[in-house]
Amino acid sequence: MSLLAAAPTEIYESGDSALRVVAISEASEHNWLTVHGLADWLENCGAEGLCGAVPTYDSVLVEFDPILVSARQVRAFVTLGLLELGHAGESARAPREFDVPVVYGGEYGPDLERVAEHQGISVGEVIRLHTAKTYTVRCLGAPAGSPMMDGPAFPKPVPRLKDPRLSVPAGAVAVAGRQAVIAPAVAPGGWCVIGQTPMSVLNIRREPLVPYKPGDILRFRQIRTEDFGQYAGLELEPLDVASEDVDFVESGARP
Amino acid sequence: MSGPILILQAGNSVVTDLGRTRGPRFGLPVNGASDQYSARAANILAGNPDHHPLVEITALDFRMKATTDILIAVTGAPLTLTVGGRPCSQWEPVSVRAGESVTIRGIHSGLRAYLAIHGSIEAETLLGSCAPDTVVGFGLQLKEGISLRARRSVGPVRQPYFDLPLFRLGLERPSMGSELLVDVTDGPDVAEFGESGELLFTSEYAVSDRSNHIGLRLGGELPERTSSGEVLSRGVPVGAVEVPSREELLVLHRGRGVTAGYPVLAVVTSTGLDVLAQARPGDKVRFRKTTVAEATAAHRRSRAQLETLRESVNTVFGLLGIGCRPQWQDLPVAACS
Repeated sequence: MSLLAAAPTEIYESGDSALRVVAISEASEHNWLTVHGLADWLENCGAEGLCGAVPTYDSVLVEFDPILVSARQVRAFVTLGLLELGHAGESARAPREFDVPVVYGGEYGPDLERVAEHQGISVGEVIRLHTAKTYTVRCLGAPAGSPMMDGPAFPKPVPRLKDPRLSVPAGAVAVAGRQAVIAPAVAPGGWCVIGQTPMSVLNIRREPLVPYKPGDILRFRQIRTEDFGQYAGLELEPLDVASEDVDFVESGARP
Repeated sequence: MSGPILILQAGNSVVTDLGRTRGPRFGLPVNGASDQYSARAANILAGNPDHHPLVEITALDFRMKATTDILIAVTGAPLTLTVGGRPCSQWEPVSVRAGESVTIRGIHSGLRAYLAIHGSIEAETLLGSCAPDTVVGFGLQLKEGISLRARRSVGPVRQPYFDLPLFRLGLERPSMGSELLVDVTDGPDVAEFGESGELLFTSEYAVSDRSNHIGLRLGGELPERTSSGEVLSRGVPVGAVEVPSREELLVLHRGRGVTAGYPVLAVVTSTGLDVLAQARPGDKVRFRKTTVAEATAAHRRSRAQLETLRESVNTVFGLLGIGCRPQWQDLPVAACS
């Protein structure tokens, strides 16, 4: 992620412990870089009372402890951070890539046919569009650090389910609106589930708990239902790291 | 180190703290004690740092047995507290002798109680907090037969005459009942609700039994969104008031998912969240509009009371030779076995 100057923003009060900063330029990519750049800057600026920032697509929720710092002071930090972004020459982190095997439809993707019908295209075309794209992780969301991504090139936005499910399994691959996601953990959900990956995404014994970060790249690959078991329980890991691991083991640098 | 504390009746209780403040950045809710004021007060009364692990007891009866002398404090919802069969005061430090049972019964107005143990409880942490996260499957839900371990033991402190309560620290206790008044500020998307947003302040809402630490569902007259269309997921603050369906208002609490796609009509203040933490199904809620400046002032006043309490506790514990760190000595290992 690199950025020349911050996009114009609006700041909204969000209770006594948070502000919402929204980037409002015409360019969604610029907005995304702005809010993530700001979140990183706030995270590292060391200001007392800032708890953390939740950046998504065009906005960042800045949380603070109102005992230690006032909303007005946090506004000042945000303004300063936005100015700094233009000068910092943000160090570009090379995105890592992830290959995500998915079984589409059937019990693994109960909403696949519904989505196809609503889009007015075949089930095969939904799968083709979903696997055709390279996805950038836009942010980590709910539940449990889900990778939130811009959705596939469907003709129309996908409506959320009228009756959200009480439980969606871990690994569920879902779409809603113009967004796409993988569910790292079992949770209720109102998104349309079109498939499921057998790979394990969340590991609470490891930090970070999920392997990807905003800016990383995901690709979905269709696998056959009978191959689900072959991947089950394997941890999702970046492609290049997997090959480095082999090198390390061979040279004995890692136990 | 003290001996184990045996859980005899767990009810619905967990080991928690003030929350996982580093969580939201990684997509995890802050979680932690729902009623932060009561949780802080319990730890302060037990001579602990505010953010240390303690037990949150929701609605159901609870019983545990000490195997060494300990010092505890119980706050939150009104209840009947007995130690070794003797009735004891909530919101005061209480001495428990080895072998005695601590019983918490009859939580009826209010929902959650907090039990802190001097020396704090040992607990695993995730991103710096022991607060349970039901979504990722982390945390210590108490069960019968589990034993907790406090880091220190405390010699019994008891009034020698008539066993009168020893402490009268006089902390203001939050009022609890079945009619709750909850302060909110305008949310970032209030404009999307037009005039119907005012309904929030003129209607009375009933707490649904589908409410939990993630969010409270409230039945009543609902403001309606005037705009439509899918919204991009955004970070939502704890306390966000949303109208996701035609049936109920949703007020997000500390277990809320950090991102959501619904417009935020209003945001419950920090002190208001503590009030809602004690709401029982069927309770009535009214909302009152305030400003961020007023909400911050109210929050700081309530924290100042806790700071005063901390000074009193430090003084009293110092005079009695318990609790305060400088005077404190861990028991020799032999005494623990």
